[in-house]
Parts: sequence; structure tokens; C-alpha cells
Amino acid sequence: MKRFTRLAAAAVIASLGAGTAIAEGLYTPNLSYRTGPFAATGIPLMNGQADYMAMLNARDGGIGGAMIDFEECETGYSTEKGVECYEKTKGKAIVTQPWSTGITLQVLPKTNVDEIPILAPGYGFSPMADGKVFQWAFNIPAGYWDAADMIVQYIEGQGSLDGKKIVFLHLDHPFGKEPLPLMESLAEQKGFELVPVPVGLKEMQNQSAQWLQIRRERPDYVVMWGWGAMNAGAITEAVKTKFPMENMLGVWWAGHDADLKIVGEDGKGYKSISWSFPNADAPVMADIKKHVVDAGNSQSNEEEMSGVFYSRGIIISAILGEGIATAQKHFDTAEIDPGQLRWGLENINMTEERISELGLDGMVPPFSTSCSNHTGHSGGWMLEWDGEKFVKVSDLLTANVDNYAELIASSASEYADANAPWPVNEDCEG
Amino acid sequence: MLNDIFVAPFVDMFAAPDFLMQVLWEGLVSGILYALIALGFVLIYRSSRIFNFAQGIMVVFAALTLVGLHAMGVPAWICILLTLGVMFVLAVVVERVVLRPLVGQPDIILFMATIGITLFLIGLGEIIFGGENKVMITAELGIPTGSVLLEPFGGLLILEQKDITAVIVAALLVVGLLIFLNKTRMGRAIRALGDDHQAALSVGISLQTIWVLVWFIAGIIALVTGIAWGARAGVSFALEVIAYKALPVLMLGGLESITGAIVGGLMIGMLEKLFEIYWGQPLLGGNTETWFAFVLALIVLLFRPQGLFGERIIERV
Amino acid sequence: MLYRTAGQFKTSYTADQALFPIRQDAYLLGIILIFAWVVFPLTASEFTFQTLLIPILIYSLAAMGLNILTGYAGQLSLGTAAFMGVGAYACYKMVTIMPWMNPVVAILLSGVFSAGVGVAFGIPSLRIKGFYLAIATLAAQFFLVWLFEKWAWLYNYNASGAIQVPNLKMFGVYIAGPQADSMIQYFVVLGIVTLLTLLCINLTRGNLGRTWKATRDMDIAAELIGINLMKSKLTAFMVSSYVVGVAGALFVFMWRGAAEPNLFDIPLSFRILFIAIIGGLGSIMGNYLGAILIVGLPVVLNTLPQTLGIPISSAMVEHLNIMIIGSLIIFFLIIEPHGLARLWALIREKLIIWPFPY
Repeated sequence: MKRFTRLAAAAVIASLGAGTAIAEGLYTPNLSYRTGPFAATGIPLMNGQADYMAMLNARDGGIGGAMIDFEECETGYSTEKGVECYEKTKGKAIVTQPWSTGITLQVLPKTNVDEIPILAPGYGFSPMADGKVFQWAFNIPAGYWDAADMIVQYIEGQGSLDGKKIVFLHLDHPFGKEPLPLMESLAEQKGFELVPVPVGLKEMQNQSAQWLQIRRERPDYVVMWGWGAMNAGAITEAVKTKFPMENMLGVWWAGHDADLKIVGEDGKGYKSISWSFPNADAPVMADIKKHVVDAGNSQSNEEEMSGVFYSRGIIISAILGEGIATAQKHFDTAEIDPGQLRWGLENINMTEERISELGLDGMVPPFSTSCSNHTGHSGGWMLEWDGEKFVKVSDLLTANVDNYAELIASSASEYADANAPWPVNEDCEG
Repeated sequence: MLNDIFVAPFVDMFAAPDFLMQVLWEGLVSGILYALIALGFVLIYRSSRIFNFAQGIMVVFAALTLVGLHAMGVPAWICILLTLGVMFVLAVVVERVVLRPLVGQPDIILFMATIGITLFLIGLGEIIFGGENKVMITAELGIPTGSVLLEPFGGLLILEQKDITAVIVAALLVVGLLIFLNKTRMGRAIRALGDDHQAALSVGISLQTIWVLVWFIAGIIALVTGIAWGARAGVSFALEVIAYKALPVLMLGGLESITGAIVGGLMIGMLEKLFEIYWGQPLLGGNTETWFAFVLALIVLLFRPQGLFGERIIERV
Repeated sequence: MLYRTAGQFKTSYTADQALFPIRQDAYLLGIILIFAWVVFPLTASEFTFQTLLIPILIYSLAAMGLNILTGYAGQLSLGTAAFMGVGAYACYKMVTIMPWMNPVVAILLSGVFSAGVGVAFGIPSLRIKGFYLAIATLAAQFFLVWLFEKWAWLYNYNASGAIQVPNLKMFGVYIAGPQADSMIQYFVVLGIVTLLTLLCINLTRGNLGRTWKATRDMDIAAELIGINLMKSKLTAFMVSSYVVGVAGALFVFMWRGAAEPNLFDIPLSFRILFIAIIGGLGSIMGNYLGAILIVGLPVVLNTLPQTLGIPISSAMVEHLNIMIIGSLIIFFLIIEPHGLARLWALIREKLIIWPFPY
């Protein structure tokens, strides 16, 4: 027993030391979730992120001469573990990638004090687009309100929405509720009827009640804000209740190949908006294959690598990489600090040329960020499941940001008020 | 308000009887699956007074093993046999490592131990099989897919063939189990052990054998549940939460009663669906299924503290 | 030798029933308190505060609340997290409706709300017993979490449905919210936990505590000797829920900084139940030991491979972590079903007669 105590004491002391190890290269921790109820969707994303960074390290020796120390800290999508990971890594990290709306909400107020940028590509909190208020938070290249707006635009492209009925099937969780204010205001503007149908975390696998409700409501469209096991559950139920799949559209997190493979042919026509697309012919894929997969350093497999989520992981790392590169060029140093990375992330200019320079042809739409625009509003493509894989079925859609700029500003200032004193960056213009 | 609670839902029901039938059918299918999980609980509780929380993870584990083996190229029917083997080994290990040293401890300690088993199996399962959502090998097992369309009252009733299969298999399993418990030596020994440990031991019933047997049967039930449930929405660790749905079934039906588990499961499956569709969604913002079963069971317990079919609790001072 | 009790005579019943009949116990506690109040704050890093010290204290408090109900009064509850949620949401509503309120007062008052809810859900315990009651408390668990999700008033109608702790000042210093310093938060938590621990120790030693224990050991017998079961059970639910509610308010306000409804879901309840059982049912000290093990162990396990330089992916660590925790629970249950507190009691007995056993 005493020996055990001594061992435990030694372990505790050791753990206290661990938080303060010295940085080697650019430390960009990722709060991954390869375990837990959302692991199914997490794993391909994490693999994509890790493989891209590993590829940069192997091919170019990191970014701008500095190696990237890309480390995962497993959270299992639990907020508690996420905060632990954040505390553990914040000492030397130049960026935080919180990976869940819950963890983002917890970490968001702390970053103002710790001054570390949060990079939450395509998730997090939509008002984060307001860079004046959320100085340290980024949800590049598009937020949930962009997604909702683009989906409604796409539906509208098939005919007027006046008098139509749209069911908004969402996870009963901060993530799923976030687009509601925008959907409500769109419903008012376009004259469609919005029926929100929540899916509880425990009902993700068994959504028969929700789909019975949908059957009773007889909606023209179903817009799905799903994640994890909810997607597979919803898609199988949709097939079962014979809902016309071409009228079912999801957010980008609801467009996971593995979820659709469960229903295969029956899922034909299902759509998902996305700001990333798997292009097997893009040079970056060949480089990853050459430098990472063939070297045996990838945890991924071929099937997964051809999927939407793996390529999204690549794009996420590419955005971070671009932020780092921009900062390095501006400050003329390889070893940038968190403050400099923030400048870098605020000044990304992903033009078509830059995208093909990075070898990401056709995988991400062009966008640019600024001090006041922390999202970039890249727009996205509507992808459709053809029975085997997702294909692009639309040109680039762009969100009509002006329409809800006011909503962003008011939500952002509401957040700042609730968390007063909240420092606001007054130096931003426009 | 009163109209919304007492009149409108019933008007809805009669206005669209085909829809009502669909609701009841969906409730029946979920109810059967709840009942199956509850059966696993009841069997173990009856023979060892252990409230086995690990039943939920056993469902996941069995389904994952089955799918995992098939992914390695083993034919489907052999997979089933091998999975049964794995569940048997699991039963032996649980009995040897966990239960035997804990014989005679208070109920709550044994209950905690099964939560320990749950955590262990989650970790082990994720290491072996990974956390990805997997497709149940429905077609390979010869389970028909597709659906039967009926048109009662000029409406539409969709019956999934795999749901029909699940209902039939579950019914067969229950009948088989009842025959086993009532007609065979082993089955009677299980019941004897449930009635009185000391007395059963003194007439030569081996506690160890019976416990292994009971955990193994619970494993078989877990496999059947896993196949049926996995065919609906894929196999992943998120399935584990269905264990919670079995708890109110146990409360309602009584912890010791097999009949209770079945009747309770069907009742809860159908009532929670009815409540959700006709009251929960229009009046309460939906998602009432998370708690409705518990509250219903709680109310029933206030009148019958041992559940509908449970053994009467007799206390002596 | 260290723990020799020879020469410590008791000449009155009061002295014999004192909190520390043995002087060494008091010394030991003194040392622990010095560590808690002086040494840790001076030496700990931000990481230690946030992942070990503060959570261990808060979890201990929550487990203590549960222990009063389950360990002392014998009513098994699986709904602890929901009552923590009641405390947290009550506290949030109070500080947003009345921003002038002293945050510590708000935290202490929030327990009152959870006590009320606790009593309401405790009423079935008069008829339902054992596992049936345990499952019945799950009704509270699931219903309340659903309510946190659906009742928009609770989170002030904000879009995300989560609550964020505002910056709160006391005597000119930030004690809650992102601006607050970890050390200050630690002292606030430590102060409240110390206070409530003292309260609980005395409650369980007093008349009420003996009533609870009689109820736990056999409620019919207790009723026969004239104990009012209703009063006994409901006070247990009340005190327990109060403590749990305060723990919940601390959990969100002093540690997490933000909360979404499913934070208070069943895994948290189980976690607290583990702490109470591994620590030892019917023991106050056990809660601390259990919390140190259940909260501290994963943190240590997570950092261990990195410190020792073992190349292992963090997902693998997490899987192993879950397995190790699961096995440890079984292990501790097998070696000492009465928990770590009992283990310490055995060691103490050995120490008292050491080095000359009879």
C-alpha cells in the first residue's frame, strides 16, 4: 500500500512537470475524438488532419522550415476531457482545435485571457464570424448559418418556397439548435412553414417517433442537422418511411459516406451541403499517398480516404497550415507565437491560384478572411449521394451573408454583454 | 388547453387509423427489443440477485464480434457460432474473475461491479473493433430486407420485413426460454437458485455452473438483440444507451418476472410511442421518450411497489 | 509508535464522543488542511488547479451529498447529476436575474432549490425500495435533463441552449467566469467544501444521522422503535440534494465555466456513485479518497505515457484508460467492498498497535 502511495505521488509529480515541456517546432494540438458515441464520424476527420500535417513534415520539412508538432489529445467528445486537454496543451500550443460545440463554448471565453486562437472549421458558434467581438475564435471557411442559408437557397432554386413545409430535423444539443434562429427568420422571409423536430442524444439510434411525426406532417423537404450515430439512424428511417430522398438535405456533418453506405442504392438522391470535396486526382492526395500512406504512417484506409470526411480533415489542416504560412511571411519568422498565428488566420487569402498551389484543386472553394471576418464565408457545393459516393450537383453556392449580418452582430454583442467585461477589438475596420 | 390534452389527440387517432396502426407497430417493434434486453436482466437477477448493468454493452459487444468476424471473411453462420463461443468465454471469465470473489456482497456492490465490466468492455471493444459505425450483415444472415405495404382503411401501413423477422425471432426465443426454464433440469436449477440460494446449494446445484450458464444465455439474448437492433441503424457504441430503455421495463414488469419483462416491454414500447406522437410532440416540444417510460413506471410503482408481475416483497423484522 | 494512543484517557462521555478521540487524528487532519490551504496553492500550476485540485474537491462534495442519501440513509440514487444540474441552473438564474448578488451566497442558496426538487422526487421512496427506487431516481435523472433542454427560460433563451458563466466579482476580485484566477476559485471552492464537510460530519454524528442509519439498516425495525420514516427519508433527500446542488453550482461556476444540459446526464451520476462506493459508503472521508482516485487517476494515466516517453496514440491511451478504470473498480470492490475509507481504518488500527501487536 505504501509503495503504491509512493508510486502515485511520483506519478502526480511527473504529471505536473508534463504541462511545461519545451516546445519543438509548431505545437498544434488537436482535441480528437476517436472514441465515444461520435467516434464513427470523428475518426476519418482526425485521420485526414493528421495525414496532411504528416505529409507536410515529410515533404517540406514542416511549414516555412518549422516542423509541425501535431499531437492528438483524446476527448471522446466529452466536454470535461476537452477542458482537461485544453489546459494541458495551452502552455505551448499556438492554436486550439476544440472539435465539439460543447468544448468550443467552454474554451471560448478562456482564450481571451490565455490569448490562443481557436480554430473551429465549420463548427463552433456562428456569431464567431464577428472578429471584432471574437478576437481569438475562427470558424473558417463557413459557419452553420451559412450552411442553413445555402441549403434554403438551393431548395428555393427548385421553385418558390411560399407555402411549402420544411422539417428541420436536428440533434437536441447546442450544435443542432444553432441554426434555428436563422431558419426561423428565413421562414418568415420566404413564407415557408418551419417544423423543428428534435432528436435526443439517446434517441439517435431509434428515430421512429421523429419519422412518424415527419410522416404526419407531410413536409416538402427535410433539412437535417445531424451528427454521429444520428445520421445513420435518420437515413435508414427515411428510407423505411419512403420519404423521397432527393428532398432530404443535410448540413456538412451529415454527409458521411459510411452513413449512406448502410442504405446504399436506397439513399440515392440524398444531399448534403459541403465546403470540401474529395478529389482523388488532386496533387495533395498523391503526396499523402507517397509520403504518409506508403511510409506506413497513416491510420486510414483506401475506402476512408476516398470519402468526404477524410478530405475535410485535409482541408482543415490546410487552413491551419495556410494561417501559419501567412503569419510566417508577415512576421518573417518560422517559430510564430499564438498572437502571430491569429494575425495569420485573419489574413488568409485562399484564391484559386493558391488552392492549386497547395495541390487542393477542387477540394475547397476560395475564400478570404479579415480582421472583422473570422469565417470567410467560402460558400459550398451541394453534394448528392449517387448510391456509391457523393458527387457535386451544384455550382458553388454562396451564403447571402448580408441577410443575417445583423443577426451575427446582435448575437455577438449579446454574448459579449453576458460575459462582460469582454475585450472588443476596436482596431478592425469594416 | 384541456381540449389539446383530452380531445384532440383522440380525434387525431380516429381521423387517421392507418397512422395510428403504424405508430402502434413501431411501438411494438421497439417494445420487443426492450423486452429482449430486459429478459437478459431478469434472467441474471433471478439466479444471482445481480442487477446486471452490463447487458447493454453485451449487446454491442456481441454485435461487434459478429460483424468483425464477418469482415475477416468468415461465413455468416460460422460467425454466429463463433460469436456464441466468445459470449460463452465472456460468461466464464465474468464468473471466475468478478462474480466468484464477490459472492454474498450487498446488491449495490455487485451492481457496481457490472458497471466496472461495462467500462472494461467498452475500452476493450474500441481497441479491437474501433469506434466506426458498422453495417449489420443483414443479407448474409438471410434476414429479408424490403417492406410489406398494407392499405388498411385506405391508408398506408409500412411493415419492414426485418422488423417482422425480429418480432418472430424474439417470440421464438422467449418461447424457447420458457420451455427451457420450466421443462429442463438446468432450467429448473436456475429457478431453484433464484428462489433460495442455500436450499439450492444443499440439494447439489452448482452455483458456478448455473451462473456461467445464465450469463451465457444472457449473451445469446444480447446477440439476438444486437442483430435486430443493428439491422435498424448500424452497429456502434452509441447502441449501449438502449440498456437504459430496459430499466423502466424492469420496474414496470418486476425484476424477477419473465412475463413482466415481456408485457412491460411491449407496454412501454407502445405507450411511449403513443404519448410522444399524440401528446409529446404537439404539446411538450418532443423527445419525451427519454423519460416517459420512467415516469410511467414510477407511477405504477407507487401503487404496486414490486412492479406488475414482481414477487411480493415480504419483510420480516 | 506514530499512532500510539496510550496515555490519552477519557474521563467523560463528551470527551469520548468528541470528533477526534485520538489526538493523532487531529494532527493528521491539521497537516492535510495546511497542505490544502497553504502548500498546494503556493506550488500548484494552472493545470493542476484545473484538472486535479478543483475537480477533486467538487466531486468529493457531490459524492458526499450522495453518500448521505445512499451511505447513511440507505436510499440508492442514480439521479445525482440531475440534482447537480438543478443547483447549477438555479445559480445561473439567480446571478443573471440579480447581478448584484454575492456569488458565494448565490451558490449556497442554489442548493435550496435542488433540496426542494430532491424532496419532491424523494416522496416515492416512502413506498419504493432497493433497486426499484434506484430506477425510480432515474426518472428524475432523465426528466430533469429533458427539462433543462426544453425550458428555454432556464438558459435565458439563448440560441445555443447552453449556459455561460458571467464574470462575477466579490470584494473587487473576479471569482467566477473566464477572468477569474484559478487560485481564487480554488480558495472559494475549498472554503465552501470545508464548511459543508463540517456540517455533514456533525449532522451524521447527531440525532439525525443516527435516525438515518437506523432507517438504512432496516426501515421497518426503525419504524417500530418510533422513528418517523417519512421525516427520516425526506430529510436525507433534502440534505443530500442540498449538498449535491451546491456541488453542481460549484461544478459549473467555479470550474467548467459553461454547461449544456447533457453535461448532467447519467455518466456524471455514475461517476459520482463510483466515487462514493470506491471511497466507502457511510463515510465522509471516503468521498475524498474516492474522488482522488476516480478524478486523479485518469489525469495521471493520460500524462504517464508522454512523461515516460512511450509512443502511444492518445486514442489508445483513452481506451486503455477506460479499461483500467473498469478493472480498478472491480479490483477495489473485490479487495475491500467497504471502500478506501475502510482500508484506511484497517491501516490505522494496525498503526495503533504497531510495532508491538498483542
